[in-house]
Amino acid sequence: MSNLYIPHLVTIEDIYEETSDIRSFKLVFKDKELRETFEFKTGQFGLYSAFGLGESTFCLASSPTRKGYIQCTFRKTGRVTNGLGELSIGDTMGFRGPYGNHFPIEEWKGKNILFIAGGIALPPVRSVIWNILDRHEDFGNVTIVYGAKTVADLVYKEELRHWDERPDIKLIQTVDPGGETDDWQGKVGFVPTVLEESKVKAENTIAVVCGPPIMIKFCLGALGKLGFSDDAVFTTLENKMKCGVGKCGRCNVGDIYICKEGPVYTATQIKTMFADF
Amino acid sequence: MTDRYISKESLGTLITTVNKSGGRFVAPVLDARQVVYKEVASIEPVVDDYILPRNSYKEVAFPQTEVIYKYELNRAGVTIDPVEIEARETIVFGARPCEAASLASLNSVFTWDFIDETYTKREERVVVLSVGCINADDECFCTTVNLSPKSTTGSDVALYETDNGYIATPITDKGKAFVKTYSASFADTPKGEKRKELIDPEKIEGVDLTKLGETLAKTENYDNPKWAELTRKCCGCGACTYSCPTCHCFDITDEGTAFEGERRKNWDACQFDHFTLHASGHNPRDTQYKRYRNRFMCKFHIYPTKFNSTGCVGCGRCIRVCPVRLDITELMEAMSK
Repeated sequence: MSNLYIPHLVTIEDIYEETSDIRSFKLVFKDKELRETFEFKTGQFGLYSAFGLGESTFCLASSPTRKGYIQCTFRKTGRVTNGLGELSIGDTMGFRGPYGNHFPIEEWKGKNILFIAGGIALPPVRSVIWNILDRHEDFGNVTIVYGAKTVADLVYKEELRHWDERPDIKLIQTVDPGGETDDWQGKVGFVPTVLEESKVKAENTIAVVCGPPIMIKFCLGALGKLGFSDDAVFTTLENKMKCGVGKCGRCNVGDIYICKEGPVYTATQIKTMFADF
Repeated sequence: MTDRYISKESLGTLITTVNKSGGRFVAPVLDARQVVYKEVASIEPVVDDYILPRNSYKEVAFPQTEVIYKYELNRAGVTIDPVEIEARETIVFGARPCEAASLASLNSVFTWDFIDETYTKREERVVVLSVGCINADDECFCTTVNLSPKSTTGSDVALYETDNGYIATPITDKGKAFVKTYSASFADTPKGEKRKELIDPEKIEGVDLTKLGETLAKTENYDNPKWAELTRKCCGCGACTYSCPTCHCFDITDEGTAFEGERRKNWDACQFDHFTLHASGHNPRDTQYKRYRNRFMCKFHIYPTKFNSTGCVGCGRCIRVCPVRLDITELMEAMSK
């Protein structure tokens, strides 16, 4: 393709209403060959088009181990995402990507993995979770700490139930104080606090943390207290993007272009970057 | 290739010949009482008494707005109709040697890893004919950023004014090929025709580019109170970015209806508050000084270190167009300390 900005056409094969304003799509490439050959790595992202409205950047929320389709999850918040929110099964939208770097999971073989996510930041983590679970024999224990403001704000509720039932995963769910319901079985408290109380062992463990900037900041502190070294902690930065390919000049943090050299960074890298995220 | 000569009369023939062969000839003309680069069909509107046109000629390769593709929605789904990139021979006449250095910088952004053909296909066909400056104004600061009216970086053919025409020094292969293709317009330099003396704008002594780069590279200087103090009057209009020959930021937007329309690539500016605004409402550059700092960092840290190219060519346009008279060289001096 000679023009970088022309998207592939994809069909919406399934829609999941995660919360009152968060939706997930299962997408299949119209091009049969691309459906077979499309590959990406966990942590990468794409630009999704609502024709007539524009493009938005979301992660690839599915795992590369699940072939034949991709998934995305987004909150209906602006022009494009509200437009995507009005689409139905069978409708066509656009996708270009995959872009950016990825989580170096091949280097994590044999290690325990601790996932930490807040609110709508579970989608990028979910891609890694399924990638690890689909090859669980290569990795150690899996612990997931997931929190949202209220019970209604938790995404992937079906999958949370599934992970909760699996004996090979430890799932800790929490909601912010005041966000619980009468039948809430999980914890009540902010993610960083719950994380610290979990006493997850840092030894031979990789931590993947995604969430709003303030949550990441406090989780990095909590992980430090638990004994995690900054090199063992991975997170993603999410600045606004338009091109996704290092040209449009929006997502840079100092001289680092998140769309090209990110979005995945270790805590060590984050701590040496300019405060521009 | 030795120096050639082009008289003003032959320049007129060159303009019509380029047009006849399907090319574009862009030159400084007077338009609404301002000198601007514009496409010309003849020599009549072309002016030679100017310091620098108000607009940058980057728009010949990076248009203010362009259609990337058209789409149509119907019962069968969506049809995408890619738009052919209009890439024809484009001659930029009268480029100043400072600005000539800029296309290489834009090139470095539009080609690192991913190649943006909407830019490269046009840029490949651009021939830059620079004209050495015999005048400068107070806003010119090319010598402060290590360029000068003598520079030939980015010029394909360097022209030097004489009484009745220009002495032409072909610099690049593209320039040599151009002089060869249009050899009928070029001749041996007539006796008595001599280069007019080039001006040598004064270098701003307080600016040290090396020190400036070192200051910007350190994260501890990122929240230096100087940023806010020195840029407080910036109103965020973005005029500096639109007139700057190395500013490359753009937006991608859709225009049309739910049935048909087009996706466009438009100039954008890092000076606008919505430029980096997240969907959540969070904005990493939530105050004007942070946006100014980003542009400044882009010129003097990101371009030189990341793209190994010139971020600021010292053309001074950002100073001339600034509605609040914010002078970038003041920041350059302050950050050189």
